[in-house]
Amino acid sequence: MSEKRSALSAIERCAADQWRTLPSGLTVLVRPMPGYSCTHVIAATRFGSIDRNFRLGDRECSLPAGVAHFLEHKMFEDEDGDAFAKFARTGANANAFTSFDRTCYLFTATQQVDESLDVLLGMIAHPYFTAETIAKEQGIIGQEIKMYDDSPDWRLITGLFECMYHQHPIRSDIAGSCESIAGITPEMLYDCCRAFYAPGNMVLAAAGNITMEQVLAACGRSGLDRPCPALPPRRLVLEEPMTLARPEQTLKMAVSKPCFGIGFKEIPLEPGDLRTEALYDLVCDCVCGGMSPLYRRLYDEGLVNPGFGGEVLRVDGCCCFLFTGESDAPERVRELLCAEIGRIRAEGVDREVFTLCKNEKYGQLIENLENVEDSASQMADFALAGQTVAQQIAMLSGLTAEDADRALQTILRPERMAFVRILPDGSHPIEEMEEEE
Amino acid sequence: MERIQIAPGVHLSCEPAEKFNRCRVSIHFLIPADRRTATAHALLPLVLERGYADCPDMTQLTKKLARLYGADLTVDARPMGCSHNLCVSVTGIKDRFALAGEQLAREYASLALGAAFHPYLKDGAFDPEAVEIEKQMLRQALEDELNDKRLYCTRQAAREFFRDSPAAIRQEGYLDEVEGLTPKDLMEAYQEMLRTASIELMVLGCTPEQTAAVKDALLAELAQVRRAPAAPAGFMAMPRQAPLRRTETFDLVQAKLCMVFTLGERMEIGQLPAFRLALALYGGSATSRLFLNVREKMHLCYYCSSSFQSFTGSMMVNSGVEHADAARAEEAILQELADLCDGPITDDELEDCRRGILSAMRGVEDTLGGIENWYYGEILRGGPVQTPAQARAALEAVTKEDVRQVLRRFSLSVCYRLTREEDADV
Repeated sequence: MSEKRSALSAIERCAADQWRTLPSGLTVLVRPMPGYSCTHVIAATRFGSIDRNFRLGDRECSLPAGVAHFLEHKMFEDEDGDAFAKFARTGANANAFTSFDRTCYLFTATQQVDESLDVLLGMIAHPYFTAETIAKEQGIIGQEIKMYDDSPDWRLITGLFECMYHQHPIRSDIAGSCESIAGITPEMLYDCCRAFYAPGNMVLAAAGNITMEQVLAACGRSGLDRPCPALPPRRLVLEEPMTLARPEQTLKMAVSKPCFGIGFKEIPLEPGDLRTEALYDLVCDCVCGGMSPLYRRLYDEGLVNPGFGGEVLRVDGCCCFLFTGESDAPERVRELLCAEIGRIRAEGVDREVFTLCKNEKYGQLIENLENVEDSASQMADFALAGQTVAQQIAMLSGLTAEDADRALQTILRPERMAFVRILPDGSHPIEEMEEEE
Repeated sequence: MERIQIAPGVHLSCEPAEKFNRCRVSIHFLIPADRRTATAHALLPLVLERGYADCPDMTQLTKKLARLYGADLTVDARPMGCSHNLCVSVTGIKDRFALAGEQLAREYASLALGAAFHPYLKDGAFDPEAVEIEKQMLRQALEDELNDKRLYCTRQAAREFFRDSPAAIRQEGYLDEVEGLTPKDLMEAYQEMLRTASIELMVLGCTPEQTAAVKDALLAELAQVRRAPAAPAGFMAMPRQAPLRRTETFDLVQAKLCMVFTLGERMEIGQLPAFRLALALYGGSATSRLFLNVREKMHLCYYCSSSFQSFTGSMMVNSGVEHADAARAEEAILQELADLCDGPITDDELEDCRRGILSAMRGVEDTLGGIENWYYGEILRGGPVQTPAQARAALEAVTKEDVRQVLRRFSLSVCYRLTREEDADV
C-alpha cells in the first residue's frame, strides 16, 4: 500500500493544476511545469459543428453545415491584419481546430509568451468579418473539403453517421460542403460569436513554462477580469429516434481494397457523464483491443490489419461505437464482431483484460502529464466537461468489470448496428510521361 | 546528452531527463541500404514487434506491456538517405509511478534487448507461422499505399527522382518479393544486420545505475555476435537533370502535385543553418512564401509546403490543388523560388522565420522523442554533435545572402501529378 500511496502522491504533484473562474465567466487552468522551455496555451469554446440550431435572446438561429469550422478560419483575421503574422512576431507556433462539439485555438511558444497570450485573447475578443474576406475563405475551405472527400477514413465515418442518425447534425461533415458554406454571411458569424464566444462558454488552459499570475495578467489586459453580461445561447435539440436512418450503404472510391465501418447507435449520455464514457471505452478495448481474442483471430486470419480498431464517440444528443478497418471480407468481420459481442454479453468481460485495460489508461494519463501540449489539452477537455485530472484518475480506479457486464446488456445491440463499406472503384492508374529537353 | 563509444561501431547516448514522467530505451541499427535484402528488412520490424523468445505470443506480449502500465514497444524502420535504420524502442512510466513498486525501467531494458536480440525462433529460423501472418500484413500495407494519395504521390515522385541510386531502395519493401520470402531469408537478413550495423543505444530518463545495467547487457549480447560494422553511408546528391514530368490518373476530388529538386552536389554540414532558414522562408512555415502567396493570396492549393533532406541534398514541395490549377500551381511554386533567389527578402519575413525555428529548437528538449530525434539526427549527419543551443547560435548568424546562395543551388528534377483523366493534359 505504501508504494501505491507514494505513486499517487507523485501523480498528484505533477497533475497539480490551478483552476480559477474569472468574473467574466472564463474558466482558467494553469499547470506550471518546472524545467520546461515551452508553454502551450489553448482557448476552447463549446461550439462545434453540431451546434447548428440555437436560440439567442428572442431569436432562433439556424446555421448551414460548416459554420463553426468556417468561423475558426476567420477568427485569425482582424482589421489590422492576420493573427498568424502577429504570432510570427513572437515566434509562437499557432494553430486551431474544430471538432463536433468544440473549437480550439492554440499556440506553443518559448519566448514572448505574454505577447502571444495577448494575440490569442485579442483575436477571440475582436472578431472582424466582411463579405469580401468571407468570399476569399470560401475558396480555401472548399479546397480543404475536397481534400477530405478523398480520404476513405473520413468518408467511412461520415457514412456511418448518415446511416445511424435521422436528423442529428453529426450527419454533416465538420467543414460542411461547398454548397453549405456558400450561404455564410458576416451577420451569421457575428451571431455565433455573441452566442458561443462569450467568456462563460470558454476555457483557457495553459501548461509549461508559465504561471497563473501571467495568465491572469493577460486576461486583465483583455478585459476578461470584469463581469461580462452575456446571454447564454440555448441549444435547440432536434428529436432523434433510436432507430437507424438506414442499416447500411456502399460507396466506391479509388482505394486498393475494401474499407468498412460498423457503428452501434447508443442512448445519448447526460452532459458531464464521463464515467459512462470511460466505461464504454474499456468495453470497446475488451471487445476488439490488442488483448482481445477477437482481434487476434481477425489478425491471424488476415481479415484485418493493425489499423482495425474501435472507439466511442459522444457529443450532445449522440453516442455511438465506431469500428473501422480494411478487409477483403468486411461482412465476415461484421459477423465475427457481432458473435464476439454476443459471447461477452453472455459470459461477461474477461477480468484480466479489463484490469489490464485500466492499467493502460492509468499509464496514458501519466504520459499526458509529461508533455505541455497533452497537458493543456487534457485540462481543457476535462474542464469543458467540468472535471479535473485527479477526479478522472479516481473515477477510472472505481470502474469494475461488473459495471462493464451490466452496460453490455443494453449497448452494442445488433438492431442498432449500421454498416458502411467502401469498395475500390476499379480505376487503375495510367501513367503518362514527358521529358523536357 | 552524453555520448561514448562502448565497442567498435557501438555507442551509448544517455540523458537523465529528470523532468519527464517516462523513460525510454532505444537501440538503433543503421545499415547501408541493400536492394537484395530490402523486402526482408521491411518485414523484419513486423516480426520482431509481435513477440520474442521469452514472450513469443503476440497477445501475451500486449498483456505484458499493459501490466507495465501501457508501456510502448515499437520496432520501427525508416530510410536515412542511402542507409536504412531499424529502431527497437521501449517507453514507459518511471518507477516512481508504479502502483505496486515494480522496477519498471529494468523491465523496459529487458524487453528492448529481448526484442532486438532474442527473437522467437523455430529450427534456427523465425517462426514460420509468424512470418506468414506478417507477410500478409506487409503485402496489405504495400497495396494500401494507394489509399493515401498524398503519401502515394510523394513516394512515386521520390522513386522517379532517386532512380537507380541506393537512396531509391525502398525501405517499405517490394510487393512482388513478399510472397517468396522465407523464414530463412529473414533470419539471414537479421543476422547480417546484427553483424554489420552501426549501433546506437539511447537511454533517456534512467538513473546512472539503470543506464550502466542496460549498457552492460547490450555488450553481453554483442559478445555473441561476430561483429564487422560497415562504414555508414555519408551525404549524397542526385545529379541535375532536365525536369521529368509524370502524371497518373485516378478518380480524385483534389489533385496532388509533388516537385523534387536537387542540389546537384552533396550538402556541406556547415551550410545546414542556412538551409534551415531558407526552407522555412520558402515553404516550411506558416510565414513562408509558398503558404502566404501560393495558398493564401493566389488560392491555388489547400496545402503547399517544402521539406529538405540533408542526407540526399533534395527538396520536396508538396501540394493539394484543384485539377485545373495544377499547371498554374507548378509555375507559381517555381516563381516563388526564383523570387527568393533573385528578388528582395524583407527583414521582417526573414526574422519571423528565424524566430519560429529558434522557438522550435528551444522546445526540442521538452519531449523524449524530441531529444532522441535531435541527437540521433546529429549523430547520423557526422561531424561534431551540436546541442540545440549551439544550433540556435549558428542560426542567428545566417544572412539573407546565405539564404539566397543555398536556394540558388536547387534545380527541379521531377514533377509528379495525380489527377483525373480528363485533366491529365491540362
